[in-house]
Amino acid sequence: MIYSKDVTSLPDLAHQIVSPRFDVVTQPVDVLSLQNLIIYAIENGIPIVPRGNGTSGWGGAIPTRGGLCISLSAMSGILYFNEFESAVTVETGITWRDLLAFLERLGFTLPVYPSSATAATVGGFVASGGLGIGSTRNGDILKQVIGIEAILPNGKIVRLGRLLLDSKTDPLREKVEEGNSWLSEKLSDAGLGSPEQETKLFTGTYGTLGIITKVTLKTIPNLQLIPFSCSFDRMTDLVRAADRILSEVKPYYMRFLADNYTSKLRALSEYENESGKYILTGALLDTIYQNEDNIEIIKTVTNEEKGYVLDDKRSWFYWSERLYPLRIKRHGPSLVPAEMLAPMNMLPEILEKTKAELRNSKVAIEGTLSNDGTTSFMVWILDDERKKVSFTIGWYRSFQIASLAERFGGLPYAVGLWNGRHARKFYGNDSYKNLKVMKKKLDPSNIMNPLKVFGGRVTIGRESMLLGFLLGFIVTMIGGWLLPGLLNLDWLNQFLSLSLVQFLYFPNLWLLGLAGGLIAVMIIRFMRLSQALAIGIPILRILSKLLRR
Amino acid sequence: MTKLDFIERYGQENEPYICASCGNCTLVCPVYSELKWESYGPRGKLHVVKSIIEGEGEFGKDFAHKIFLCNLCEHCTSVCTTGISLDRFWEVARAEVRERGLLPAPAQFVLKSVKERGDIMWMGSADRLLWMEGIDELVKDRILKKAKVAYFLGCNVSLKSQLHDVAQSMVKIMDYAGIDFTLLGEKEVCCGAPLSWAGNLKDINEMAEKNLSLIRELGVETVVFSCPSCIQTWSEYSKSVKEDKSIELLTASQFINRLIREKRLHFEEQPMITTTFHDPCISARVLKATEEPREIMDEIPGVYHVEMNPSRQNTRCCGAHGLLDVVDPVLSSRIAERRLRDVTVTPATRIVTECPRCILAFDLAKFTTGYEMLVQDITQLVEGALSPKEQGGGKDH
Repeated sequence: MIYSKDVTSLPDLAHQIVSPRFDVVTQPVDVLSLQNLIIYAIENGIPIVPRGNGTSGWGGAIPTRGGLCISLSAMSGILYFNEFESAVTVETGITWRDLLAFLERLGFTLPVYPSSATAATVGGFVASGGLGIGSTRNGDILKQVIGIEAILPNGKIVRLGRLLLDSKTDPLREKVEEGNSWLSEKLSDAGLGSPEQETKLFTGTYGTLGIITKVTLKTIPNLQLIPFSCSFDRMTDLVRAADRILSEVKPYYMRFLADNYTSKLRALSEYENESGKYILTGALLDTIYQNEDNIEIIKTVTNEEKGYVLDDKRSWFYWSERLYPLRIKRHGPSLVPAEMLAPMNMLPEILEKTKAELRNSKVAIEGTLSNDGTTSFMVWILDDERKKVSFTIGWYRSFQIASLAERFGGLPYAVGLWNGRHARKFYGNDSYKNLKVMKKKLDPSNIMNPLKVFGGRVTIGRESMLLGFLLGFIVTMIGGWLLPGLLNLDWLNQFLSLSLVQFLYFPNLWLLGLAGGLIAVMIIRFMRLSQALAIGIPILRILSKLLRR
Repeated sequence: MTKLDFIERYGQENEPYICASCGNCTLVCPVYSELKWESYGPRGKLHVVKSIIEGEGEFGKDFAHKIFLCNLCEHCTSVCTTGISLDRFWEVARAEVRERGLLPAPAQFVLKSVKERGDIMWMGSADRLLWMEGIDELVKDRILKKAKVAYFLGCNVSLKSQLHDVAQSMVKIMDYAGIDFTLLGEKEVCCGAPLSWAGNLKDINEMAEKNLSLIRELGVETVVFSCPSCIQTWSEYSKSVKEDKSIELLTASQFINRLIREKRLHFEEQPMITTTFHDPCISARVLKATEEPREIMDEIPGVYHVEMNPSRQNTRCCGAHGLLDVVDPVLSSRIAERRLRDVTVTPATRIVTECPRCILAFDLAKFTTGYEMLVQDITQLVEGALSPKEQGGGKDH
């Protein structure tokens, strides 16, 4: 079960469209054993889901049709580091924490790493994309990827971009040459560039096109790190200050915590300047001289924007807390994820709207500021999975936030499993089209992380089948009973008044209902994820409104 | 749904649901590192408890055994991304195991021994005086004497002969520094820590109180311990310690470091000793006493201290805490061997620590691995480096 979930818990209803668990969990130790595993899965038509440590909440690493879970955490070596090239190559099962510890000993750090760095794997974050610590200066994680090695759904090993390795000790060179020439053909058939130019096929696509086995990432010198934090009474003041700090200082990292977040942090209860306030916190990573100047600018800006600068001790506290946003989960104890990418200047409005829409829910809001004027807007919806009905209906709120994002010109933060219907907008029309073309070419039998990003047919649970059958049966029965009277056709009335038909009226109606039930089952069996969600979300919305009343 | 009485009674029923399954705990768990099987790691066990609560699993003998395959080393607690006090949870789960009569035989023995003999090894109060052999002059007037400082040895140091030197060193240091201290001697009983490890949370306060009432009668203000677990137990389970903050509980290194700052201890040049400090789990992660031993070593001329990786709050467990050494000695030893391997990649020839369990575990692992290194308590290192009393030392110098 542990490998079949991520940081969120799914309501039982979700298991009517995705399978509740994997059939087998595997942990390959090297690329060749992983290649064998994939070939075995292709030959037997077994779905494969690659998995890091499942620290995201978007369903990218959960099962949808059972099959094989490929946990990459046993492939965790550091293969290459060159300070002159400012790059490090790792196996993708390594955790960000271990990679950071390695680099920090050598005087380097990473331009971006996730807030779940203590457990998240490099592969997991690269495959799903997103903002993290460092994104305020360096953008999202995908911009930090120099090269990758991946195994395609047909078992071929390919390298894209510029994967840095010691060429003398590369046992896969021949296999990679073969794989890359095959991929080049397919890419040129699709009108795309060479493998060196197309790393984006595998980054941010949740392993739907192949499993990433090695990554070369950028590194940066670990200069002087100075955390800062300031508190505000109003979100509008915080946003104005953040905007000015971003343009004048360019901090390494900046994050905001809304009032409903800080009021729930037990560690803040003693600090009246922090609990229930809006906190802007982050860190500078620069030379001592530059930091001295910048910290003064931050203090001035904060004071001018009606904020209150917190002392060093509090700033270090927030810096260490950057890796523990999930502490908020204690107020649940379960979590419904909802996050969007929103324009920074819209934050106060979005915040108010979110608070209004989720006024009956326990929520905590925070976000990370990016270098392109957008912000991740994370809404931790705190719930209790033990209250089955309200938890199930409450999942509607996740989709509610995605719709809200659209209204404000934002996007859902991630695609994963649940936001597949926003994929075209998320990746961009052309990129998504290319991804779809390549998915068909690379994974024609759709065994690689099925349903994620591209959607597809869902595996409907027995209860839904039964319900569908009953609905089809009842609707057809009622239709068969009422329709002739409503249509009032002469030939139909004559036919129905035949003595044989009259004699077999109820058996016939029964048979008609049976046929209707079976047709409904067939329709459900061929239902796609987007259609299932299109039916399910409005039902949840109605139930949610009824429950709220 | 299965009712888990103890888990509810101690308010732990939400914890399995709070878990985000991120796996931080599993990645640092010493038992998981050896057995490599999810259901032995904290995350796995927490999920099993959840499935038991939901009626999908059974609290059987096999799971009860797994609950005891844990060092209670606090590492999972310290890294938990949702802030679950996992070690408290395991202690409560052990209470549930005990309630269901599924306690492993070694744990049953420990409970019986603590209850009937007041120690963990079925010895007796008279045996608590054996460590004094050879230093009779230093201790003869100290037992149950009224004083501001008390030295609490704990079961391991007072009863295990290979650790007697730790107690003797501490007494010599205190004497050297001119401290007016007292010892509980044969009146000392187990601090109560093994009770929590063996699932008896109810009687810990009573056990702690047997010692604490004596300590209070003697007018003690500071208690110095050779075992960090004793401090943790009293701090967490003794009602009187929680309410009355007038008694200070210090680790050996915290106390010695204070003596050094007060210029009561003086050292002579040592012949190039390269040491590395193994942070005991409890002193590093619970008591946060990581800097004092390092400051002490920095003060001793000729002692060169190198860091092990991991160290301080991220220290790796020695494998002997939480009764794992008696429930599964082989696994416990494998964990100790792993920690010794961390030492072998440093130039250190001596591993210094401040927990009797760590010393015992490393001494054993030295034999199984064949590694040549000296294992010492910080008190032994300090005592061995003191300059002769005529040249320095004591308050008067």
